[in-house]
Amino acid sequence: MRPRTFFAFVGPSLVLMILFIAIPLVSVFLQSFWQTQTVFERVEIENCTPGFPAPNCTTQTVTRPLLDESGRTVTETIYVGLDAYRAVVQPEAVAAAFAAGEDFWSRLSNIDFWKALRFTLTFTLITLPLVVGLGLAIALAVNAALRSLRGPIIFVSLLPFIVTPVIGALSIRWLFIGDGILTNALEAMTGTQIFMFAQGWTIEILMLTYRVWHVAPFAFVVFYAGLQTVNQDTLESAVIDGASRFERLRYVVIPHLMPLIVFVSLIHLMDAYRVFEEVIGFSSQAHRISLQFLTYDFLMPDDSGNRSISRASASSMLTMIGIVILLVPLLMRTWRDYKPRG
Amino acid sequence: MAEVRLEHVTKRWGAFVGVADFDLTIADREFLVLLGPSGCGKTTTMRMIAGLEDATSGSIYIGDRRVNDLDPKDRDVAMVFQSYGLYPNMNVYENIRFPLKVRKVPASEHDERVRRASAMVELDAFLHRKPAELSGGQRQRVALARAIVREPTVFLMDEPLSNLDAKLRVSTRAQIKNLQHELKVTTIYVTHDQIEAMTLADRVVVMNKGVIQQVGTPTEIYDDPANTFVAGFIGSPAMNLMEGKVERGVFVGQNVRVPGVSTKEGPATLGFRAEDASLVMEGAGERPGEIVAPIYTLELLGDATMITVRAGGALVSVKAHKDYRAEIGDMVGIRLAPELCHLFDAESGARLTPARAAGGVRAVAAAR
Repeated sequence: MRPRTFFAFVGPSLVLMILFIAIPLVSVFLQSFWQTQTVFERVEIENCTPGFPAPNCTTQTVTRPLLDESGRTVTETIYVGLDAYRAVVQPEAVAAAFAAGEDFWSRLSNIDFWKALRFTLTFTLITLPLVVGLGLAIALAVNAALRSLRGPIIFVSLLPFIVTPVIGALSIRWLFIGDGILTNALEAMTGTQIFMFAQGWTIEILMLTYRVWHVAPFAFVVFYAGLQTVNQDTLESAVIDGASRFERLRYVVIPHLMPLIVFVSLIHLMDAYRVFEEVIGFSSQAHRISLQFLTYDFLMPDDSGNRSISRASASSMLTMIGIVILLVPLLMRTWRDYKPRG
Repeated sequence: MAEVRLEHVTKRWGAFVGVADFDLTIADREFLVLLGPSGCGKTTTMRMIAGLEDATSGSIYIGDRRVNDLDPKDRDVAMVFQSYGLYPNMNVYENIRFPLKVRKVPASEHDERVRRASAMVELDAFLHRKPAELSGGQRQRVALARAIVREPTVFLMDEPLSNLDAKLRVSTRAQIKNLQHELKVTTIYVTHDQIEAMTLADRVVVMNKGVIQQVGTPTEIYDDPANTFVAGFIGSPAMNLMEGKVERGVFVGQNVRVPGVSTKEGPATLGFRAEDASLVMEGAGERPGEIVAPIYTLELLGDATMITVRAGGALVSVKAHKDYRAEIGDMVGIRLAPELCHLFDAESGARLTPARAAGGVRAVAAAR
């Protein structure tokens, strides 16, 4: 392809990527090192009350926002270095928790960032194998099903993926809430009171289950498409060679699907590490928060109407660094597979 | 080593019959070729022997065992596929070792057996390579080595040379023939290429529309085709087939008149091979040929010149000396010996003249 033709195809995409991804990214990166704050001035105010022979006057020094000519608050942006990161990560609190010895984990989980990181990592790393495994299992089952049954099975399998994430999460929540249908059913079966939303770990299990249920259809569709391209001669060779069903899966099917498994894993890692909807849908803020939710929380105005833009930026950058670290092994594998052989 | 026996084997998909009443015994150590056009049922027959397809009816025996209900892995057959069927993620060594690994052959034997099999197909230098780094011929040799390494009782080969270029096909064909001779394993080979069939087979089974048309040695099939289908399928060029009728022992058709072919009267098809006819030289004082017609086309083949004329409602080709030259449209006479002609029923296509001892017929031709 001629360079000119190549850029004609790629150009629009590049421009949009720069406009909507690169520039905001750089902006967030810069904002994490700078802080915009209101400029205050100290003024002396003399208050007088009538008196004789002279009025009674007192002088006070007060701090108040500096206003410009048009009466608007004056702000200034100052370089704060890694202060925003320190405010998010709270290294002193971590050190104190470490010094506390055996109480380390409970103290660490009281710091918002570490609490969010723990949940985000758990959420990502537990849902990843489950999504890949369940997606592959459904794809294999559908592929082995009668041709006439495949259409309906595919339709039903795709339904969870079609449901809007927040609505889906809310639906699950309503099923398991105090007087939800499933809670009542479970209580009737077990004869004990069940409070799924009274403690963090049960909410976390529901959140993990929901994400796997929601995303597995995507993995299924990708793997099912991949299964259609498995070389039948190779598969039949394995049959004749004496491979069992499991060995055919291990030595023929999975190696064939490996690029798709890497693709689904990449997409899921990026998606799961930015978990947010579940926190809202399951109202888990009191027990479980994610890094994305933490960023959102920093951006929300506090009681005095201030937003912690620089801390939100720092939190965003840390989230992105986390995603990159998780993606490195998969990207290295992809790079190795496509590296020209010398 | 084992004999393979198919007793009235039929394969149907609904109303469609893929293979009809296939009944054949393949002798121990025999090289049998299933030959026919696409869709004739030859691959289906092989897949039923392998266990990749279930026979609708009939019995398949390998040795003394009826194998209809056995899984493919329990039939002790090895198969070589047209598109190789290699494992792309494994190197050559691992590809060849795979059957030993999954069949739980003691690991101590693997290396020796893999190296012996790879040496037989001259792959020693490529053991560390992945299939993607090999040529088509090398890949097919890996598939052969993988079949050899198990030391099965039957080799099944499904058009193994079809994906190779013409030159590689010839050398790999020779290698397969030599391997079969060395290993002395019963081999069933599927192809649509009649040259492969003729060069490799101890016996050839010609199939069409799921039905066996003829079973015989390559010479029998070539010299005494059982019907017009076999006559038209085997040989390059195929046998010339002319429509006409027999009147008082003389075959008469458009531009053709051959006396002494049969005593049976009525419509018939007369066949002869291009090399069994000769041109009548003008001015040599010879009687005119059995076919007299203008030249339709003339092709120089290097070792011969192919003359084509229209006779008996078909284009008929005759091999002439490589130096023979004429113009399209020139009248030409073609001499046919009745004993080298084959008469077939005009409707069913079945052979009317009795099959002859091939050696005898050729001897007559040579004496002329």
